[in-house]
Amino acid sequence: MKKNPLTDLRHVDEEELALLKKRIETATAFIIIMAALLLTRLWYLQVLKHEEYSQRAQNNLIRVREITPPRGRITDQQGRIIVTNRPCFNVLWYKEDASQPDLVIKNLSVLLDLDITAILERVRQASDQPNYIPILLAEDIDRPTLIAIENNRFFLPGVVIKTVPRRQYLHDNLASHLIGYLGQITKGELKERKDNYYKGGDLIGKRGIERIFNDQLRGEKGERYLEVDSRGFVQRRLKVKKALPGNDLRLTIDLELQSEAEKSLRGKAGAVCVMEVKTGNLLVMASSPNMEIQEFTGGISKDIWQEHLQNQLRPLINKNIQGLYPPASTYKIVTAVAGLSEKVITPETIFYCNGAMKLHGRKYHCWKRRGHGAITLKRALSESCDVYFYQVGHKLGVKKIARYARLAGLGEKTGIELAHESSGLVPDPQWKKRVKNEKWQEGETLSMSIGQGFNLVTPLQICRMTAAVADSGILYRPRLVKGIQHLDAADAIEEFPPKKDRAIPVSPHILRLIRQGLISAVNDKHGTGSEAKLESVTVGGKTGTAQVIRLEKFEGYQEDNIPYKYRDHAWFTCFAPAKEPEIAVTVLVEHGGHGGSAAAPIARKILESYFNIKEK
Amino acid sequence: MLRFDRRLLQNFDWVIVLFVLLIAAMSVMNLYSAVYQDQFRGTPLFLKQLYFFIMGFGVIAVIISFDYRKFMNYDYTIYGITIILLLYLLLFGLLQAHTKRWIDLGPFNLQPSEVAKLSLIIILASYYSRHDTSLGLTLKELSFPILLTGIPFLLILQQPDLGTALLLIFIFASMTIFVKLRWSTFIILTTIALSVIPIAWKFVLKPYQKERIESLFSPDKDLMSTGYQIFQSKIAMGSGGLLGKGYLRGTQGHLNFLPEKHTDFAFAVWAEEFGFLGSSLFFAIYFTMILWGLKISSTSRDKFGTLLCLGIVSLIFWQSLINMAMVMGMLPVVGMPLPLFSYGGSSLLTTMAGIGIMISVRMRRYQMSR
Repeated sequence: MKKNPLTDLRHVDEEELALLKKRIETATAFIIIMAALLLTRLWYLQVLKHEEYSQRAQNNLIRVREITPPRGRITDQQGRIIVTNRPCFNVLWYKEDASQPDLVIKNLSVLLDLDITAILERVRQASDQPNYIPILLAEDIDRPTLIAIENNRFFLPGVVIKTVPRRQYLHDNLASHLIGYLGQITKGELKERKDNYYKGGDLIGKRGIERIFNDQLRGEKGERYLEVDSRGFVQRRLKVKKALPGNDLRLTIDLELQSEAEKSLRGKAGAVCVMEVKTGNLLVMASSPNMEIQEFTGGISKDIWQEHLQNQLRPLINKNIQGLYPPASTYKIVTAVAGLSEKVITPETIFYCNGAMKLHGRKYHCWKRRGHGAITLKRALSESCDVYFYQVGHKLGVKKIARYARLAGLGEKTGIELAHESSGLVPDPQWKKRVKNEKWQEGETLSMSIGQGFNLVTPLQICRMTAAVADSGILYRPRLVKGIQHLDAADAIEEFPPKKDRAIPVSPHILRLIRQGLISAVNDKHGTGSEAKLESVTVGGKTGTAQVIRLEKFEGYQEDNIPYKYRDHAWFTCFAPAKEPEIAVTVLVEHGGHGGSAAAPIARKILESYFNIKEK
Repeated sequence: MLRFDRRLLQNFDWVIVLFVLLIAAMSVMNLYSAVYQDQFRGTPLFLKQLYFFIMGFGVIAVIISFDYRKFMNYDYTIYGITIILLLYLLLFGLLQAHTKRWIDLGPFNLQPSEVAKLSLIIILASYYSRHDTSLGLTLKELSFPILLTGIPFLLILQQPDLGTALLLIFIFASMTIFVKLRWSTFIILTTIALSVIPIAWKFVLKPYQKERIESLFSPDKDLMSTGYQIFQSKIAMGSGGLLGKGYLRGTQGHLNFLPEKHTDFAFAVWAEEFGFLGSSLFFAIYFTMILWGLKISSTSRDKFGTLLCLGIVSLIFWQSLINMAMVMGMLPVVGMPLPLFSYGGSSLLTTMAGIGIMISVRMRRYQMSR
């Protein structure tokens, strides 16, 4: 039989067990001796040496002070600095170092010229943070104040001046929407981030490039280990871990062109974007009015925020990617491409425009009430004949138009490196059924084919589409950051390659026909875009005038006599030079009136500067 | 089938459960104080520790539901699985070029080195109880237990987890000396051990480990690195004085001067806030629990049970001795938690499992195996 260890146990050797038990007594004694030894040591530390260690605890404290790294700089495409840092002096207070906190607050209120209640409020707000984190009492103090504090340090135990880098905007609010700003990290953001890098009170990128490329820009914090005495005065520097500056970002933006664009938009609400047709690089992304970027640094008051929200010029949004507008006649590019591709029309097809088209007993007007007469595609694009495109749209049907609109990148986010981009809207019967629970009307197809009705686009989408039409139909990913300059790799710039999203499946021949129409619009006698004409370079472009709300009572009024919010949006989108296009420029002026008169001149100014800069 | 014997309940050891509950309460309370000023991400540590204790009681319930003598049947199986887990980590370390001490199991991490502590106790208790040891062990008889200890020791040493590896040696030594060693064997082994130390110093120990040992003898030499921890710990305890600074009033722990305040140095937080009196009370409870474990060991009806309990007592005792000596600046910083008191799920569950085994032994002291 196999032996089972359990049955073995039955034959317990009582003698052996007794022996073991005797040894347990020895073990007990051993444990008690050891415990007594520990207790003796505890007595020595806590009772005999208590005085000494209390002194040490109070007097010789080791402080770990954070060193804020300078944030990476932001430059334009040629390396000209747009945003950098400057030293700024903050007043911090380790409250626990002060035996009479009230006295310190009183002294500070005199030196800082601040109300005592304001200081108390800051102290109160910091009451839930750990003691070892100092309280921020004042930011960015000037030199006289700094000197006054330094001279009175003896009366300000626990008060420390911390030099931190602060954002400095060398060109005021230039490109404020895309650069964005910094603000104090919120509790939600702290929770979201898993890397434990940030602490409460730290600044973090809140919008724009500052937000999206925050982790590239931020650098690494350093630490300074100090031995301080009971008044918080530094006795000895123990160790320093240096802070690593953040990486510099090189934008695709051209500083000169951007400021030219912003200048030409001054006083208006609108957007300008300029894209290189062969890379998708944005040389300009201007949204007017700009944000007052300094107001936002380190937090903005509720009142100012509310004021901005209610401002009808909407300074808070980046109109290039967040503004939604009917594309108006710029959309005729889509309708024309669809008509030619689907062979509904040829370049020779003639429609007759007598000022309106009739459908189911309703009249759909052309902007030119007298009518264009017999008209072909080239002239229809050039003079922006609505009736021509009603006819094309009617023959195509809503689904085909919507398909080509989507192929041209409308109704979807462009994927630019910024947050909160709008995708716009390409309407179709399914959408109408889902959202409005109504049937699609045939008349709506007509409105759609001239870019009115439910269509909504962003200026950037139109710019990207124009660039694609100008350059063999390739849709590039629009981008703002050209590369990153890593500080550790001396001067080497890590350049991001351009990214082709896809090619619009249209034959080059068709695109050439469209370009001819757009060139005619700028250069021919009756073209709607003649205000964008340049002497030296041939430009091709399309105007657009987007109706906001057509109220009967304003019918026939001059634009200037209509209230601001009812005026039309003015569009102009173009490319140049005609022969070998380099850039696409899109201008939108909110409530600006006619595209040809309000938007085209701005585009001309920008084209002029572009070619001037290039010659230099 | 498990037939439930009413005597099992009558003999249930409420005393040790009471001790565990007391220490659990002190642990959670202390953790609350240690971290309440920190900026939390996620569940606060003291709550997590509370959950670990609740899980630990679940582990105890499972372990006491069957006869501890079953462990004897499965001793090599348990040991084998442990070695495989440790080997897995070794291979993982070789392949991934970075070492890991745990295996991810979805909701929690398994630390094979923790399992190794218990399976070593089981296999040694089983081995010694099957051999007559009353005449004292010879070197030859000892060679097999040395092998059994050596394999996990080396595997854990390379993780590298010096603290746990040494603990295995301490458990082995305690249990072996306990079952009686011949004087000659003892002298030979001690000689070997002493001669290994200089070799280990030169070849095995990593620079940071040496630094820790050196800093013990001259804590003021390098205030910022290893000496710093011990120094801050002593300041925290010493400034506590006779009566302590009061609950939640400790300054050193809260100022973040005290490193690892919630794990290895948890006792320093307690000592700072409750002073010498509070620390003495803690000692009284803690060491009474350990001594109670020895009592359970002595009341067991069989050698396996006695040795099992003794192994577990040595596990808890050595860890707490080393931890406290470290916190008080008598030993180098080796990374050893205070069982049941320091924060940490793996260590806690291992200790609770050990206590479950002790309760199981205690419950079945009048019951012969069937």
